[in-house]
Amino acid sequence: MTDRNDYLNRIRTIEEFLYEEASYLDRPDLDKWIELYTEDGTYWMPATEDQEDPVNHISLFYDDRVMMEIRRRNFVHPRAASKDYTVRCSHIISNVRIEEESDGGLIVTSNFQCVMYYHDKQTLYAGRYRHELVDIDGQYKIRHKRVDLINCDGVHGSIIIYV
Amino acid sequence: MSYNESTLDGLVTPTKIHRSVYTDPEIFDLEMERVWGKAWIFIGHESQVPEPGDYTTLNLGKVPVVMVRDKEHKVHVLHNRCGHKGAKLVDKRCGRIGGFRCCYHGWTYRLDGKLLGVPNIKGYEGTGFDKDDPQYSMQKLARYDSHRGFVFATLDADAPNLRTWLGGAGDVLDNLCDRSPEGEVEVAGGILRYEHDCNWKMFIENLNDTMHPMIVHRSVVDAANEYIKTLPEDSPHRDEAEIIPPFGASYENFEATGITGFRYGHHYDGGKSSIHADYSVDPDYETAMIASYGKERTREILTFNTHNTLYYPSLTIKSAIQNIRIVRPVAVDKCVIETWSFRLKGAPDSLLQRTILYSRLINSNGSMVGPDDHTAYFRMQEGLRSQASDWVEMHRNYGTDKDLGDRWTNTGTSDLDMRSQYGAWRHYMLGEAS
Repeated sequence: MTDRNDYLNRIRTIEEFLYEEASYLDRPDLDKWIELYTEDGTYWMPATEDQEDPVNHISLFYDDRVMMEIRRRNFVHPRAASKDYTVRCSHIISNVRIEEESDGGLIVTSNFQCVMYYHDKQTLYAGRYRHELVDIDGQYKIRHKRVDLINCDGVHGSIIIYV
Repeated sequence: MSYNESTLDGLVTPTKIHRSVYTDPEIFDLEMERVWGKAWIFIGHESQVPEPGDYTTLNLGKVPVVMVRDKEHKVHVLHNRCGHKGAKLVDKRCGRIGGFRCCYHGWTYRLDGKLLGVPNIKGYEGTGFDKDDPQYSMQKLARYDSHRGFVFATLDADAPNLRTWLGGAGDVLDNLCDRSPEGEVEVAGGILRYEHDCNWKMFIENLNDTMHPMIVHRSVVDAANEYIKTLPEDSPHRDEAEIIPPFGASYENFEATGITGFRYGHHYDGGKSSIHADYSVDPDYETAMIASYGKERTREILTFNTHNTLYYPSLTIKSAIQNIRIVRPVAVDKCVIETWSFRLKGAPDSLLQRTILYSRLINSNGSMVGPDDHTAYFRMQEGLRSQASDWVEMHRNYGTDKDLGDRWTNTGTSDLDMRSQYGAWRHYMLGEAS
Protein backbone atom coordinates (compact mmCIF):
# COMPACT_ATOMS: atom_id res chain seq x y z
CA MET A 1 0.00 0.00 0.00
CA THR A 2 2.91 2.32 0.80
CA ASP A 3 4.40 1.70 -2.66
CA ARG A 4 1.08 2.58 -4.19
CA ASN A 5 0.85 5.77 -2.13
CA ASP A 6 4.41 6.70 -3.08
CA TYR A 7 3.58 6.23 -6.71
CA LEU A 8 0.44 8.36 -6.48
CA ASN A 9 2.34 11.07 -4.63
CA ARG A 10 4.98 11.13 -7.32
CA ILE A 11 2.35 11.30 -10.04
CA ARG A 12 0.80 14.21 -8.17
CA THR A 13 4.16 16.03 -8.05
CA ILE A 14 4.68 15.45 -11.77
CA GLU A 15 1.15 16.63 -12.53
CA GLU A 16 1.81 19.84 -10.64
CA PHE A 17 4.91 20.38 -12.73
CA LEU A 18 3.00 19.76 -15.98
CA TYR A 19 0.27 22.15 -14.82
CA GLU A 20 2.88 24.79 -14.13
CA GLU A 21 4.30 24.41 -17.63
CA ALA A 22 0.79 24.58 -19.11
CA SER A 23 0.01 27.73 -17.12
CA TYR A 24 2.92 29.55 -18.81
CA LEU A 25 1.45 28.63 -22.19
CA ASP A 26 -2.09 29.52 -21.10
CA ARG A 27 -1.18 33.14 -20.35
CA PRO A 28 1.25 32.95 -22.28
CA ASP A 29 4.61 33.78 -20.69
CA LEU A 30 7.45 32.41 -22.79
CA ASP A 31 10.14 33.92 -20.52
CA LYS A 32 9.02 31.72 -17.66
CA TRP A 33 8.23 28.77 -19.93
CA ILE A 34 11.78 28.63 -21.31
CA GLU A 35 13.19 28.51 -17.80
CA LEU A 36 11.55 25.11 -17.34
CA TYR A 37 13.79 23.64 -20.05
CA THR A 38 17.35 22.39 -19.66
CA GLU A 39 20.09 24.12 -21.65
CA ASP A 40 19.93 21.24 -24.14
CA GLY A 41 16.12 21.14 -23.99
CA THR A 42 14.03 20.65 -27.14
CA TYR A 43 10.37 21.02 -28.12
CA TRP A 44 9.03 18.88 -30.95
CA MET A 45 5.68 18.77 -32.73
CA PRO A 46 5.87 16.10 -35.45
CA ALA A 47 3.89 16.43 -38.69
CA THR A 48 3.13 12.75 -39.03
CA GLU A 49 2.02 9.83 -36.85
CA ASP A 50 4.77 7.87 -35.10
CA GLN A 51 7.38 10.15 -36.64
CA GLU A 52 10.83 8.98 -35.62
CA ASP A 53 12.99 11.74 -36.93
CA PRO A 54 12.82 15.55 -36.64
CA VAL A 55 15.86 16.13 -38.84
CA ASN A 56 15.14 14.17 -42.03
CA HIS A 57 11.37 14.62 -41.90
CA ILE A 58 9.35 17.82 -41.69
CA SER A 59 7.80 18.85 -38.35
CA LEU A 60 5.41 21.61 -37.36
CA PHE A 61 7.86 22.67 -34.62
CA TYR A 62 11.32 21.47 -33.63
CA ASP A 63 13.02 24.06 -31.44
CA ASP A 64 16.10 23.89 -29.30
CA ARG A 65 17.03 26.64 -26.82
CA VAL A 66 18.40 28.84 -29.60
CA MET A 67 15.12 28.75 -31.50
CA MET A 68 13.15 29.15 -28.26
CA GLU A 69 15.16 32.29 -27.50
CA ILE A 70 14.46 33.68 -30.99
CA ARG A 71 10.78 32.79 -30.71
CA ARG A 72 10.52 34.41 -27.28
CA ARG A 73 11.84 37.68 -28.74
CA ASN A 74 9.70 37.38 -31.87
CA PHE A 75 6.55 36.81 -29.82
CA VAL A 76 6.66 40.28 -28.29
CA HIS A 77 8.15 42.15 -31.27
CA PRO A 78 5.93 45.19 -32.02
CA ARG A 79 6.19 44.61 -35.79
CA ALA A 80 5.23 40.92 -35.85
CA ALA A 81 1.85 41.20 -37.59
CA SER A 82 0.75 37.69 -36.68
CA LYS A 83 1.41 38.48 -33.01
CA ASP A 84 -0.83 41.56 -33.13
CA TYR A 85 -3.71 39.51 -31.77
CA THR A 86 -4.39 38.36 -28.26
CA VAL A 87 -3.46 34.72 -27.66
CA ARG A 88 -5.18 32.94 -24.79
CA CYS A 89 -5.11 29.22 -24.18
CA SER A 90 -6.68 26.73 -21.83
CA HIS A 91 -4.76 23.49 -21.43
CA ILE A 92 -6.28 20.42 -19.76
CA ILE A 93 -3.84 17.61 -19.01
CA SER A 94 -4.88 14.14 -17.97
CA ASN A 95 -4.03 10.41 -18.09
CA VAL A 96 -0.59 11.15 -16.67
CA ARG A 97 1.65 8.08 -16.52
CA ILE A 98 5.28 7.38 -15.84
CA GLU A 99 6.50 5.45 -18.84
CA GLU A 100 10.12 5.03 -17.90
CA GLU A 101 12.34 5.85 -14.98
CA SER A 102 16.09 5.97 -14.61
CA ASP A 103 18.61 7.68 -12.35
CA GLY A 104 17.61 11.31 -12.31
CA GLY A 105 15.36 10.98 -15.34
CA LEU A 106 11.72 10.27 -16.10
CA ILE A 107 9.62 9.85 -19.19
CA VAL A 108 6.06 10.95 -18.59
CA THR A 109 3.19 10.60 -21.03
CA SER A 110 -0.14 12.38 -20.81
CA ASN A 111 -3.16 13.35 -22.87
CA PHE A 112 -3.96 16.99 -23.45
CA GLN A 113 -6.56 19.27 -24.89
CA CYS A 114 -5.70 22.87 -25.60
CA VAL A 115 -8.29 25.41 -26.66
CA MET A 116 -6.54 28.36 -28.24
CA TYR A 117 -8.18 31.72 -28.80
CA TYR A 118 -6.45 33.71 -31.54
CA HIS A 119 -7.65 36.22 -34.13
CA ASP A 120 -11.30 35.95 -33.04
CA LYS A 121 -11.28 32.19 -33.45
CA GLN A 122 -11.14 29.26 -31.04
CA THR A 123 -9.17 26.23 -32.17
CA LEU A 124 -9.04 22.89 -30.40
CA TYR A 125 -5.74 21.04 -30.35
CA ALA A 126 -5.70 17.58 -28.81
CA GLY A 127 -3.23 14.75 -28.50
CA ARG A 128 -0.52 13.22 -26.42
CA TYR A 129 2.44 14.75 -24.62
CA ARG A 130 5.67 12.96 -23.89
CA HIS A 131 7.94 14.78 -21.45
CA GLU A 132 11.51 13.76 -20.72
CA LEU A 133 12.12 15.23 -17.28
CA VAL A 134 15.34 15.49 -15.34
CA ASP A 135 15.66 16.15 -11.64
CA ILE A 136 18.09 19.01 -11.06
CA ASP A 137 18.60 19.79 -7.38
CA GLY A 138 15.13 18.57 -6.49
CA GLN A 139 13.50 20.54 -9.32
CA TYR A 140 12.17 19.04 -12.53
CA LYS A 141 13.40 20.45 -15.84
CA ILE A 142 12.26 19.45 -19.32
CA ARG A 143 14.92 17.94 -21.54
CA HIS A 144 12.48 17.11 -24.31
CA LYS A 145 8.80 17.65 -24.92
CA ARG A 146 7.06 15.87 -27.76
CA VAL A 147 3.58 16.97 -28.81
CA ASP A 148 1.70 14.49 -30.97
CA LEU A 149 -1.45 16.16 -32.27
CA ILE A 150 -4.12 13.63 -33.25
CA ASN A 151 -4.42 15.57 -36.52
CA CYS A 152 -0.66 16.08 -36.93
CA ASP A 153 -0.84 15.34 -40.67
CA GLY A 154 -4.06 17.28 -41.21
CA VAL A 155 -4.57 20.77 -42.60
CA HIS A 156 -3.75 23.48 -40.03
CA GLY A 157 -3.88 27.24 -39.97
CA SER A 158 -1.11 29.24 -38.32
CA ILE A 159 -0.05 27.64 -35.03
CA ILE A 160 0.96 30.81 -33.31
CA ILE A 161 2.52 29.45 -30.13
CA TYR A 162 3.75 26.23 -28.57
CA VAL A 163 0.93 23.87 -27.57
CA MET B 1 -23.75 39.58 -61.43
CA SER B 2 -23.12 37.33 -64.38
CA TYR B 3 -19.91 38.10 -66.18
CA ASN B 4 -19.49 38.40 -69.93
CA GLU B 5 -16.37 39.07 -72.00
CA SER B 6 -16.78 42.82 -71.70
CA THR B 7 -17.27 42.93 -67.90
CA LEU B 8 -14.39 40.48 -67.39
CA ASP B 9 -12.22 42.59 -69.67
CA GLY B 10 -12.74 45.62 -67.42
CA LEU B 11 -11.52 43.84 -64.27
CA VAL B 12 -7.81 43.85 -65.06
CA THR B 13 -5.85 46.70 -66.63
CA PRO B 14 -2.04 46.83 -67.01
CA THR B 15 -1.76 48.71 -63.72
CA LYS B 16 -4.74 47.67 -61.59
CA ILE B 17 -7.01 44.81 -60.62
CA HIS B 18 -10.64 45.07 -59.59
CA ARG B 19 -11.20 43.88 -56.02
CA SER B 20 -13.91 41.44 -57.15
CA VAL B 21 -11.14 39.34 -58.74
CA TYR B 22 -10.26 38.40 -55.15
CA THR B 23 -13.68 38.50 -53.50
CA ASP B 24 -16.42 37.36 -55.89
CA PRO B 25 -17.33 33.63 -55.69
CA GLU B 26 -18.53 33.79 -59.29
CA ILE B 27 -15.07 34.85 -60.46
CA PHE B 28 -13.62 31.99 -58.40
CA ASP B 29 -15.90 29.51 -60.18
CA LEU B 30 -14.94 30.97 -63.55
CA GLU B 31 -11.25 30.70 -62.64
CA MET B 32 -11.67 27.05 -61.71
CA GLU B 33 -13.24 26.45 -65.11
CA ARG B 34 -11.03 28.63 -67.28
CA VAL B 35 -7.65 29.03 -65.53
CA TRP B 36 -7.46 25.74 -63.63
CA GLY B 37 -9.37 23.96 -66.38
CA LYS B 38 -6.99 25.07 -69.13
CA ALA B 39 -3.49 25.52 -67.68
CA TRP B 40 -1.11 22.63 -67.00
CA ILE B 41 -1.53 21.83 -63.30
CA PHE B 42 1.13 20.12 -61.17
CA ILE B 43 -0.12 16.66 -60.18
CA GLY B 44 2.80 15.07 -58.39
CA HIS B 45 6.22 13.52 -58.83
CA GLU B 46 6.90 10.11 -60.35
CA SER B 47 8.94 9.14 -57.28
CA GLN B 48 5.67 9.09 -55.29
CA VAL B 49 4.41 6.15 -57.35
CA PRO B 50 7.51 3.98 -57.84
CA GLU B 51 5.69 0.62 -58.26
CA PRO B 52 2.67 -0.52 -60.31
CA GLY B 53 -0.51 0.15 -58.33
CA ASP B 54 0.96 3.09 -56.38
CA TYR B 55 -1.32 6.10 -56.48
CA THR B 56 -1.76 9.61 -55.08
CA THR B 57 -4.97 11.64 -55.10
CA LEU B 58 -5.66 15.36 -55.30
CA ASN B 59 -8.16 17.91 -56.53
CA LEU B 60 -7.25 19.66 -59.76
CA GLY B 61 -9.17 22.87 -59.11
CA LYS B 62 -12.42 21.25 -57.99
CA VAL B 63 -11.94 18.02 -59.95
CA PRO B 64 -10.91 14.86 -58.04
CA VAL B 65 -8.09 13.08 -59.86
CA VAL B 66 -5.71 10.20 -59.20
CA MET B 67 -2.14 9.71 -60.40
CA VAL B 68 -1.39 5.99 -60.73
CA ARG B 69 1.34 3.75 -62.17
CA ASP B 70 0.07 0.87 -64.31
CA LYS B 71 1.47 -2.66 -64.82
CA GLU B 72 3.61 -1.43 -67.75
CA HIS B 73 5.09 1.19 -65.38
CA LYS B 74 3.36 4.02 -67.23
CA VAL B 75 2.02 6.87 -65.06
CA HIS B 76 -1.58 7.96 -65.74
CA VAL B 77 -3.68 10.84 -64.47
CA LEU B 78 -7.33 9.77 -64.28
CA HIS B 79 -10.58 11.27 -63.09
CA ASN B 80 -11.18 9.73 -59.66
CA ARG B 81 -14.78 8.75 -60.39
CA CYS B 82 -16.58 5.48 -60.89
CA GLY B 83 -18.17 5.11 -64.34
CA HIS B 84 -21.34 3.85 -62.68
CA LYS B 85 -22.72 6.35 -60.15
CA GLY B 86 -19.72 8.61 -59.74
CA ALA B 87 -18.27 7.60 -56.35
CA LYS B 88 -14.61 8.44 -55.86
CA LEU B 89 -12.73 5.19 -56.42
CA VAL B 90 -9.85 5.88 -54.04
CA ASP B 91 -10.09 8.31 -51.17
CA LYS B 92 -6.76 8.15 -49.36
CA ARG B 93 -3.95 10.62 -50.07
CA CYS B 94 -1.81 7.76 -51.36
CA GLY B 95 -1.65 4.00 -51.35
CA ARG B 96 -1.05 0.84 -53.37
CA ILE B 97 -3.76 -1.19 -55.11
CA GLY B 98 -3.95 -4.16 -57.49
CA GLY B 99 -6.68 -2.38 -59.42
CA PHE B 100 -9.50 0.04 -58.70
CA ARG B 101 -12.66 -1.31 -57.05
CA CYS B 102 -15.63 0.90 -56.26
CA CYS B 103 -16.77 0.80 -52.63
CA TYR B 104 -20.43 1.02 -53.68
CA HIS B 105 -21.38 -1.67 -56.27
CA GLY B 106 -17.98 -3.24 -56.75
CA TRP B 107 -17.22 -2.18 -60.32
CA THR B 108 -13.55 -2.90 -60.98
CA TYR B 109 -11.01 -1.15 -63.21
CA ARG B 110 -7.49 -1.80 -64.46
CA LEU B 111 -4.71 0.49 -63.28
CA ASP B 112 -4.95 2.41 -66.57
CA GLY B 113 -8.65 3.01 -65.86
CA LYS B 114 -10.26 0.46 -68.21
CA LEU B 115 -13.47 -1.02 -66.82
CA LEU B 116 -12.93 -4.72 -66.02
CA GLY B 117 -15.86 -6.07 -64.09
CA VAL B 118 -19.51 -5.25 -63.34
CA PRO B 119 -21.10 -7.56 -60.71
CA ASN B 120 -24.24 -9.48 -61.75
CA ILE B 121 -23.91 -8.11 -65.26
CA LYS B 122 -26.85 -10.12 -66.63
CA GLY B 123 -29.24 -7.34 -65.59
CA TYR B 124 -27.66 -5.18 -68.28
CA GLU B 125 -28.31 -7.65 -71.13
CA GLY B 126 -30.29 -6.07 -73.94
CA THR B 127 -30.32 -2.62 -72.26
CA GLY B 128 -27.85 -0.94 -74.59
CA PHE B 129 -25.20 -0.83 -71.85
CA ASP B 130 -21.84 -2.02 -73.14
CA LYS B 131 -19.11 -2.71 -70.59
CA ASP B 132 -16.46 -2.19 -73.28
CA ASP B 133 -17.77 1.24 -74.24
CA PRO B 134 -14.95 3.59 -73.10
CA GLN B 135 -17.45 6.03 -71.58
CA TYR B 136 -17.92 3.61 -68.64
CA SER B 137 -14.19 3.33 -67.93
CA MET B 138 -12.33 5.77 -65.69
CA GLN B 139 -11.65 8.81 -67.85
CA LYS B 140 -8.12 9.97 -68.54
CA LEU B 141 -7.42 13.68 -68.17
CA ALA B 142 -7.31 15.40 -71.55
CA ARG B 143 -3.50 15.59 -71.49
CA TYR B 144 -0.79 14.55 -69.06
CA ASP B 145 2.96 14.55 -69.36
CA SER B 146 6.04 14.79 -67.20
CA HIS B 147 9.26 16.79 -67.19
CA ARG B 148 12.21 15.39 -65.18
CA GLY B 149 9.71 13.35 -63.12
CA PHE B 150 7.34 16.28 -62.43
CA VAL B 151 3.89 15.22 -63.63
CA PHE B 152 1.48 17.84 -64.96
CA ALA B 153 -1.99 17.44 -66.43
CA THR B 154 -4.53 19.65 -68.11
CA LEU B 155 -8.26 19.35 -68.72
CA ASP B 156 -7.78 21.21 -72.04
CA ALA B 157 -7.16 18.95 -75.06
CA ASP B 158 -5.99 22.02 -77.04
CA ALA B 159 -3.34 23.14 -74.54
CA PRO B 160 0.20 23.66 -75.91
CA ASN B 161 2.55 20.78 -75.11
CA LEU B 162 4.11 20.81 -71.65
CA ARG B 163 7.63 21.81 -72.78
CA THR B 164 6.29 24.76 -74.79
CA TRP B 165 4.11 25.80 -71.85
CA LEU B 166 7.05 25.68 -69.40
CA GLY B 167 9.15 27.76 -71.80
CA GLY B 168 12.30 29.39 -70.44
CA ALA B 169 10.93 29.04 -66.89
CA GLY B 170 11.59 25.30 -67.27
CA ASP B 171 15.30 26.09 -66.72
CA VAL B 172 14.60 26.34 -62.98
CA LEU B 173 12.92 22.93 -62.83
CA ASP B 174 15.96 21.57 -64.70
CA ASN B 175 18.26 23.34 -62.27
CA LEU B 176 16.48 21.73 -59.30
CA CYS B 177 17.14 18.28 -60.82
CA ASP B 178 20.66 19.15 -62.02
CA ARG B 179 21.58 19.94 -58.42
CA SER B 180 21.49 16.16 -57.86
CA PRO B 181 24.80 14.46 -58.74
CA GLU B 182 22.60 11.86 -60.48
CA GLY B 183 20.39 14.44 -62.17
CA GLU B 184 17.31 13.14 -60.36
CA VAL B 185 15.23 14.16 -57.36
CA GLU B 186 12.66 12.33 -55.26
CA VAL B 187 9.94 13.47 -52.88
CA ALA B 188 11.12 12.96 -49.28
CA GLY B 189 10.51 14.02 -45.71
CA GLY B 190 6.75 14.53 -45.58
CA ILE B 191 4.30 17.29 -46.42
CA LEU B 192 3.04 20.38 -44.58
CA ARG B 193 -0.55 21.52 -45.22
CA TYR B 194 -1.30 25.13 -44.39
CA GLU B 195 -4.80 26.55 -44.66
CA HIS B 196 -4.82 30.18 -45.78
CA ASP B 197 -7.82 32.46 -45.21
CA CYS B 198 -7.36 34.23 -48.51
CA ASN B 199 -7.85 34.04 -52.24
CA TRP B 200 -5.33 31.68 -53.89
CA LYS B 201 -3.85 34.48 -56.00
CA MET B 202 -2.71 36.45 -52.94
CA PHE B 203 -0.33 33.63 -52.14
CA ILE B 204 1.25 33.44 -55.60
CA GLU B 205 1.37 37.23 -55.89
CA ASN B 206 3.53 37.32 -52.76
CA LEU B 207 6.19 34.91 -54.07
CA ASN B 208 8.18 37.49 -56.02
CA ASP B 209 6.88 40.49 -54.10
CA THR B 210 10.26 41.66 -52.86
CA MET B 211 8.89 44.85 -51.34
CA HIS B 212 7.43 42.91 -48.40
CA PRO B 213 10.17 40.82 -46.71
CA MET B 214 11.91 43.72 -44.96
CA ILE B 215 8.52 44.82 -43.58
CA VAL B 216 6.67 41.58 -42.91
CA HIS B 217 9.66 39.53 -41.75
CA ARG B 218 11.51 42.22 -39.87
CA SER B 219 10.34 40.83 -36.53
CA VAL B 220 11.89 37.40 -36.99
CA VAL B 221 15.07 38.86 -38.48
CA ASP B 222 15.39 41.27 -35.54
CA ALA B 223 14.73 38.48 -33.04
CA ALA B 224 17.31 36.22 -34.67
CA ASN B 225 19.97 38.90 -35.03
CA GLU B 226 19.38 40.16 -31.52
CA TYR B 227 19.86 36.69 -30.07
CA ILE B 228 22.80 35.75 -32.29
CA LYS B 229 24.57 38.89 -31.00
CA THR B 230 24.41 37.52 -27.44
CA LEU B 231 26.20 34.30 -28.41
CA PRO B 232 29.95 33.91 -27.91
CA GLU B 233 31.96 34.39 -31.12
CA ASP B 234 33.19 30.80 -31.21
CA SER B 235 29.63 29.37 -31.15
CA PRO B 236 29.11 26.47 -33.55
CA HIS B 237 27.78 27.19 -37.05
CA ARG B 238 24.00 27.21 -37.34
CA ASP B 239 22.20 26.93 -40.68
CA GLU B 240 19.42 29.04 -39.13
CA ALA B 241 21.84 31.98 -39.09
CA GLU B 242 22.16 31.68 -42.89
CA ILE B 243 18.47 31.12 -43.55
CA ILE B 244 16.63 33.74 -41.45
CA PRO B 245 18.63 37.02 -41.76
CA PRO B 246 18.42 37.32 -45.60
CA PHE B 247 14.65 37.81 -45.20
CA GLY B 248 15.57 41.27 -43.99
CA ALA B 249 17.67 42.06 -47.09
CA SER B 250 17.53 45.63 -48.37
CA TYR B 251 15.52 47.05 -51.28
CA GLU B 252 18.81 47.53 -53.15
CA ASN B 253 19.61 43.88 -52.64
CA PHE B 254 16.29 42.71 -54.05
CA GLU B 255 16.46 45.25 -56.88
CA ALA B 256 19.79 43.78 -57.95
CA THR B 257 18.51 40.17 -58.04
CA GLY B 258 16.08 41.12 -60.81
CA ILE B 259 12.89 39.43 -61.92
CA THR B 260 12.15 37.51 -65.10
CA GLY B 261 8.71 36.78 -66.53
CA PHE B 262 7.58 34.33 -69.23
CA ARG B 263 4.49 33.49 -71.27
CA TYR B 264 1.65 31.71 -69.45
CA GLY B 265 2.28 33.65 -66.22
CA HIS B 266 5.51 32.01 -65.05
CA HIS B 267 8.27 34.05 -63.41
CA TYR B 268 11.21 33.92 -61.05
CA ASP B 269 13.31 36.34 -59.07
CA GLY B 270 17.05 36.02 -58.82
CA GLY B 271 19.23 34.16 -61.29
CA LYS B 272 22.77 35.36 -60.74
CA SER B 273 21.97 35.91 -57.09
CA SER B 274 19.16 35.48 -54.58
CA ILE B 275 18.53 35.40 -50.84
CA HIS B 276 19.80 31.80 -50.95
CA ALA B 277 23.10 32.69 -52.66
CA ASP B 278 25.31 32.86 -49.58
CA TYR B 279 24.51 29.43 -48.11
CA SER B 280 27.57 27.38 -47.28
CA VAL B 281 28.19 24.31 -49.45
CA ASP B 282 28.81 20.87 -47.92
CA PRO B 283 32.30 19.90 -49.26
CA ASP B 284 31.15 16.26 -49.77
CA TYR B 285 28.31 17.53 -51.93
CA GLU B 286 30.63 19.69 -53.99
CA THR B 287 32.95 16.69 -54.50
CA ALA B 288 30.02 14.51 -55.64
CA MET B 289 28.81 17.22 -58.02
CA ILE B 290 32.27 17.76 -59.55
CA ALA B 291 32.69 13.99 -59.97
CA SER B 292 29.42 13.92 -61.97
CA TYR B 293 29.55 17.17 -63.91
CA GLY B 294 33.11 18.53 -63.79
CA LYS B 295 34.09 21.84 -62.20
CA GLU B 296 32.77 24.24 -64.81
CA ARG B 297 29.29 22.70 -65.12
CA THR B 298 29.03 22.33 -61.32
CA ARG B 299 29.75 26.02 -60.95
CA GLU B 300 27.10 26.83 -63.57
CA ILE B 301 24.50 24.71 -61.79
CA LEU B 302 25.18 26.01 -58.30
CA THR B 303 25.40 29.68 -59.29
CA PHE B 304 22.05 29.68 -61.12
CA ASN B 305 20.50 30.99 -57.97
CA THR B 306 16.80 31.77 -58.07
CA HIS B 307 14.56 32.46 -55.11
CA ASN B 308 10.92 31.61 -55.94
CA THR B 309 9.76 30.37 -59.33
CA LEU B 310 6.06 30.23 -60.19
CA TYR B 311 4.57 27.88 -62.77
CA TYR B 312 1.23 29.63 -62.97
CA PRO B 313 -1.11 28.83 -61.34
CA SER B 314 -0.36 25.73 -59.28
CA LEU B 315 3.33 25.15 -58.59
CA THR B 316 6.07 27.21 -57.02
CA ILE B 317 9.59 25.91 -56.53
CA LYS B 318 12.81 26.87 -54.80
CA SER B 319 15.52 25.10 -56.78
CA ALA B 320 18.31 26.35 -54.51
CA ILE B 321 16.52 24.88 -51.47
CA GLN B 322 14.82 21.90 -53.12
CA ASN B 323 11.38 22.53 -51.76
CA ILE B 324 8.16 23.28 -53.58
CA ARG B 325 4.84 24.73 -52.59
CA ILE B 326 1.60 23.71 -54.21
CA VAL B 327 -1.50 25.85 -54.45
CA ARG B 328 -4.88 24.21 -53.77
CA PRO B 329 -7.77 26.68 -54.14
CA VAL B 330 -10.76 25.80 -51.92
CA ALA B 331 -13.11 28.81 -52.13
CA VAL B 332 -12.85 32.48 -53.11
CA ASP B 333 -11.40 33.26 -49.66
CA LYS B 334 -9.69 29.97 -48.82
CA CYS B 335 -6.81 27.91 -50.14
CA VAL B 336 -4.44 25.28 -48.85
CA ILE B 337 -0.71 25.60 -49.48
CA GLU B 338 1.30 22.38 -49.33
CA THR B 339 5.06 22.33 -48.79
CA TRP B 340 7.01 19.34 -50.13
CA SER B 341 10.72 18.61 -49.86
CA PHE B 342 12.97 16.83 -52.35
CA ARG B 343 16.03 14.66 -51.91
CA LEU B 344 18.82 15.20 -54.43
CA LYS B 345 19.76 11.65 -55.40
CA GLY B 346 23.45 10.99 -54.79
CA ALA B 347 23.86 14.01 -52.46
CA PRO B 348 24.84 13.76 -48.77
CA ASP B 349 22.02 13.69 -46.17
CA SER B 350 22.92 17.22 -45.10
CA LEU B 351 21.19 18.60 -48.21
CA LEU B 352 17.77 17.10 -47.41
CA GLN B 353 18.28 18.11 -43.79
CA ARG B 354 18.76 21.71 -44.82
CA THR B 355 15.66 21.53 -47.03
CA ILE B 356 13.66 20.21 -44.07
CA LEU B 357 15.09 22.88 -41.76
CA TYR B 358 14.23 25.60 -44.29
CA SER B 359 10.65 24.35 -44.74
CA ARG B 360 10.19 24.21 -40.98
CA LEU B 361 11.71 27.64 -40.31
CA ILE B 362 10.02 29.46 -43.17
CA ASN B 363 6.95 27.57 -44.43
CA SER B 364 5.62 25.68 -41.42
CA ASN B 365 2.32 26.62 -39.76
CA GLY B 366 4.40 26.91 -36.58
CA SER B 367 7.18 29.02 -38.11
CA MET B 368 7.88 32.70 -37.51
CA VAL B 369 7.72 33.57 -41.23
CA GLY B 370 4.64 31.93 -42.82
CA PRO B 371 2.17 33.24 -40.20
CA ASP B 372 3.26 36.87 -40.82
CA ASP B 373 2.70 36.44 -44.58
CA HIS B 374 -0.63 34.79 -43.85
CA THR B 375 -1.65 37.75 -41.69
CA ALA B 376 -1.03 40.15 -44.59
CA TYR B 377 -3.12 37.91 -46.88
CA PHE B 378 -6.18 37.66 -44.63
CA ARG B 379 -6.04 41.38 -43.90
CA MET B 380 -6.17 42.03 -47.66
CA GLN B 381 -9.03 39.56 -48.01
CA GLU B 382 -10.96 41.41 -45.28
CA GLY B 383 -9.89 44.92 -46.35
CA LEU B 384 -11.05 44.36 -49.92
CA ARG B 385 -14.64 44.15 -48.69
CA SER B 386 -14.40 47.91 -48.41
CA GLN B 387 -15.85 49.90 -51.28
CA ALA B 388 -13.50 52.80 -50.54
CA SER B 389 -11.80 51.89 -53.79
CA ASP B 390 -12.57 49.15 -56.26
CA TRP B 391 -8.93 48.77 -57.24
CA VAL B 392 -5.73 47.03 -56.22
CA GLU B 393 -2.74 48.68 -57.86
CA MET B 394 0.36 47.26 -59.55
CA HIS B 395 2.18 50.26 -61.01
CA ARG B 396 5.74 49.57 -59.83
CA ASN B 397 8.08 50.14 -62.78
CA TYR B 398 5.20 49.93 -65.25
CA GLY B 399 6.24 50.65 -68.80
CA THR B 400 9.88 49.67 -68.26
CA ASP B 401 9.76 45.86 -68.55
CA LYS B 402 12.51 44.84 -70.99
CA ASP B 403 11.24 42.57 -73.76
CA LEU B 404 13.88 39.94 -74.59
CA GLY B 405 11.67 37.98 -76.98
CA ASP B 406 10.89 34.86 -74.97
CA ARG B 407 10.97 36.67 -71.61
CA TRP B 408 10.68 40.01 -69.87
CA THR B 409 12.98 41.37 -67.19
CA ASN B 410 12.97 44.26 -64.79
CA THR B 411 14.34 45.31 -61.43
CA GLY B 412 13.61 42.81 -58.65
CA THR B 413 11.26 45.17 -56.84
CA SER B 414 9.03 45.78 -59.88
CA ASP B 415 5.49 44.48 -60.32
CA LEU B 416 6.60 42.54 -63.40
CA ASP B 417 5.46 39.34 -61.65
CA MET B 418 1.94 40.73 -61.24
CA ARG B 419 1.82 41.89 -64.86
CA SER B 420 3.02 38.47 -65.96
CA GLN B 421 0.36 36.67 -63.89
CA TYR B 422 -2.47 38.90 -65.05
CA GLY B 423 -1.36 38.51 -68.67
CA ALA B 424 -1.94 34.80 -68.17
CA TRP B 425 -5.18 35.42 -66.28
CA ARG B 426 -6.51 37.41 -69.25
CA HIS B 427 -5.22 34.69 -71.61
CA TYR B 428 -7.18 31.97 -69.82
CA MET B 429 -10.24 33.99 -68.80
CA LEU B 430 -10.66 35.96 -72.05
CA GLY B 431 -8.81 33.89 -74.63
CA GLU B 432 -6.17 36.57 -75.25
CA ALA B 433 -2.72 35.59 -76.56
CA SER B 434 -0.30 35.01 -73.67
